[in-house]
Amino acid sequence: MGIHKVEASDAELVRRVRAGDTGAYGALVSRYRDRLGRYAVHMIGDREDAEEALQDSFVRAYRSLARCDDPARFGAWLYGILVNRCRTTGARAARRRRMFVRDAQALDGAAHADQADRLDWTDAVDRALTRLAPDYREAFLLKHVEDLEYEEIAQLTGAGVSALKMRVKRAREQLQKYLREAEHV
Amino acid sequence: MFEQEDETVERVIQHLRRSVAIDPGLDARVMREIAQVPPEGRRGRPLWPLLAAAAVVATVLVARPWNRNAASQADTLQFVLVAPQAASVALVGDFNDWDPARSPMQTAHGAGIWATVVRLAPGRYRYAFLVNGVEWRADPNAPAAKDDEFGTPSSVITVGGRGS
Amino acid sequence: MILAALLLVTQVAVQDPRLDRLDLDTRSAVAAVVDSARVARLPIEPIIQRALEGATKGAPGPRIVAAVRKLAVDLGTARAALGTSALEAELEAAVAALRAGATPEVIAHLRDVRRPPLTMALSVLADLVASGVPADSAAAAVLALAPKARDADLVEFRRAVERDIALGAPPGAATSVRLNAGALDVSGGNTTTGNPNNPTRRSRP
Repeated sequence: MGIHKVEASDAELVRRVRAGDTGAYGALVSRYRDRLGRYAVHMIGDREDAEEALQDSFVRAYRSLARCDDPARFGAWLYGILVNRCRTTGARAARRRRMFVRDAQALDGAAHADQADRLDWTDAVDRALTRLAPDYREAFLLKHVEDLEYEEIAQLTGAGVSALKMRVKRAREQLQKYLREAEHV
Repeated sequence: MFEQEDETVERVIQHLRRSVAIDPGLDARVMREIAQVPPEGRRGRPLWPLLAAAAVVATVLVARPWNRNAASQADTLQFVLVAPQAASVALVGDFNDWDPARSPMQTAHGAGIWATVVRLAPGRYRYAFLVNGVEWRADPNAPAAKDDEFGTPSSVITVGGRGS
Repeated sequence: MILAALLLVTQVAVQDPRLDRLDLDTRSAVAAVVDSARVARLPIEPIIQRALEGATKGAPGPRIVAAVRKLAVDLGTARAALGTSALEAELEAAVAALRAGATPEVIAHLRDVRRPPLTMALSVLADLVASGVPADSAAAAVLALAPKARDADLVEFRRAVERDIALGAPPGAATSVRLNAGALDVSGGNTTTGNPNNPTRRSRP
């Protein structure tokens, strides 16, 4: 927004919310909305469902804030709630027909002449992502897009580190394969 | 060959890392939901959830769906307007008798983002925002209502029924 | 007889207190339209809402009356095209489509190819025209999609067309590009004219 002020840490904000300052939760929502939203959108593949999952996760996190053991790691804890919530939606969405996920900024940045190219490529990426098995997609996004460490991902998902590494590797292989296919139509 | 494929995946990763615009109205929606129920472990007023539930029930009973059968298919929708300079914003439309007193909008965190939530049965509704009680604004993110017989801009929202 | 008629008009005016926001003359004229609509078994709520819109916007009485009369007529036309089993929401959406330039024939055709409710399909048609798409292109597009597309798909189609128009595509062309893109599983119909250094450039077989 252009307004810079000294920002309270996650732990401080959580402390305030627990003390009764509900409004302080708004700062946490603002802080994490876009980052978690990015994961939800790519994982679920449908913007509306993703926003619903995101909203739901924020509300759940608020309601069970007493169970956040380490307020300094509120973000990671919130991630865990979101990852689980996305799994539920993912199962529903898989039964529906494919919907595009459009990245509005990609469209804005595209020059007119190669607009068609960019749209096609980003479409191909979105399609390729949707084709990945959910746990491959989940692992890939958490590792490479959200930049989490394998140990963190293991905590969030309950899977072992070596299983996760395998999933990420498979995801990479499959993405390459699907994108190659998309190029030769 | 390997390098080229790694390059492809790297490009995918760079693309996916771009920030994704999430509806800024989400913040207000979350805050509205959590205002109704105190979190666990907090010494809240136990009456709150009951009062909140009663308010929701009352609203649903008072709202008029187009078609009685459609009431069960109602959608809860949020309307958002960015108006940093406004002192007040009201949502008016076919769903609230165009009465500015019925759906005043709230702004969260003073960021000039005004929002309110309305329950709508399936149907097509004309609506507009009334800023500071005098200025009519259409919703920039919604289709325009083509017939503005009264000389001011309006927008349209259509709520679909299930099962189509 | 006259007394009964007078009582009837008064009764209608009294029945819906929302019309109290109108001045007396406007109120009785609107009440008369509402009553005729009721007799003709057309939905009256849209008529009342249109009057209230005018009231809130401070429109002159005669303009409000003209608007509600026109709406009543259009609702009748919509009902003739859609049939007597049409929902109120469908009729309203059909009015919007008619005013956008769709013919009653197009609306009747839509009824033949798509399961009800037709509300969203009709709305999308009207909204496409509102974004600048020529009425016949919009009608053709919606009719092409109508048999199989879900409501959500139609909405997504409309949004995609609006985005393309916002990015500078001519509205009629935007509609047909979107239509064709949706029909193929992998879109490969575009000739690449982009930056030759762009590694995403595809080779055409």
